[in-house]
Amino acid sequence: MNKSENLIKHIHSLVPKDRKVKIMNVCGSHEHTIAFSGMRSLMPQNLELIPGPGCPVCVCPESDIINAIKLSKRDDVILVTYGDMLRVPTQQGSIRAEGKNFRMITSPFEAIAIAKNHSDKKIIFFSIGFETTTAPTAAILEMGIPDNLYILSSHRLTPAIMEILVKDADIGIDGFIAPGHVSAIVGSNAWNVFSEKYGIPTVVAGFEAENLLLGIVDILRQIKEGIAETTNVYSNVVRPEGNTQAQRIMHKYFEVSNVNWRGIGYIPDSGLELKSEYSARDARKVFELKEVKEEKIPGCICGEVILGKAYPSKCKLFKKACTPQSPTGPCMVSQEGSCNIWYKTN
Amino acid sequence: MCVGVPMQVVEINYPSGVAEARGVKRNIGLQLLPEGDVNIGDHVIVHVGFAIEKVDEKMADEIWKGFDEIFRLMDEEDEGA
Repeated sequence: MNKSENLIKHIHSLVPKDRKVKIMNVCGSHEHTIAFSGMRSLMPQNLELIPGPGCPVCVCPESDIINAIKLSKRDDVILVTYGDMLRVPTQQGSIRAEGKNFRMITSPFEAIAIAKNHSDKKIIFFSIGFETTTAPTAAILEMGIPDNLYILSSHRLTPAIMEILVKDADIGIDGFIAPGHVSAIVGSNAWNVFSEKYGIPTVVAGFEAENLLLGIVDILRQIKEGIAETTNVYSNVVRPEGNTQAQRIMHKYFEVSNVNWRGIGYIPDSGLELKSEYSARDARKVFELKEVKEEKIPGCICGEVILGKAYPSKCKLFKKACTPQSPTGPCMVSQEGSCNIWYKTN
Repeated sequence: MCVGVPMQVVEINYPSGVAEARGVKRNIGLQLLPEGDVNIGDHVIVHVGFAIEKVDEKMADEIWKGFDEIFRLMDEEDEGA
């Protein structure tokens, strides 16, 4: 018997026999491993592995995307952003379909290069994502960016959305698998609040199937022992205090703000905007962007999927009007989106 | 977007550098790690072009092993689709 088989056997022996157990992951890469490895089919029937809000493009507000489209139509602007963002649908189409002057980048470094090569243009970096992408954006600010480069920040904080999830009794989370690389930035200590304040076993795990299984075993062990701790089975990468240099640089340039999460709504202190002393670099202020009212996509249940209240297969559009080739909702766009992953594995 | 890839540092010009994985070299940012903490030959996890943490060679190999397995399973899904 190999190690994974042993871990699965252990999971079966540890799981409570008298009730359902829901363990949520909050990282698209975790969901990717769970889905593609076929792990769910090997779990006890009363153990649910639920995908949560682990897809940054899925929660990026429609208003920011529409503003990005509008900015890209200006002759003096080149909008740059990560590839997935170009395809996210809105009431006014996607950046790729409706935008004009835009480029895909894979790193904030490329935004600097484009700004240097187009000194006659205003380069707007539509910077989105959780802590793993916020830190690199803060890093280019620390390194110094050209005067014609502006940041449209749509960054989101993972712990903030997780706190919303635990307060929602409808979801009923029994354990969290905390995201491995977000944890590398914020530290495993950042999740102590969930075990200490809310009594939810929380385990930092990496992205290999075996490591995820180890995390599930540890959550079930805690449930069996009636305790709640924050533990770390990815300790070769994640330190308790995290990456303190990255945290320092992020805090230097960004401050928390009340922001909208697509399909979910406004959550206090859950996003990051540039501090006022850097407003000359803040595209939202320089270009006087106005909020556009979000419109619900008819039939799309992305908001419920992100919150772990519904599986993608419950959506009437899933695999019909909504496919990775022609996504109707944001969760079908990215390889980290639950609907996209389920499309390929279910 | 949030996938972190282990790479080996082959050049350092802090706060930038060059790292390599599977024969592909890429300019990376080292600003998120303290100057002097990263040496040539070190393995780092790279997110959107920036090293976010150092890892030992064994861990880097294990992460790549995990990727290879997922890539294999994704290929199988594509073939079966």
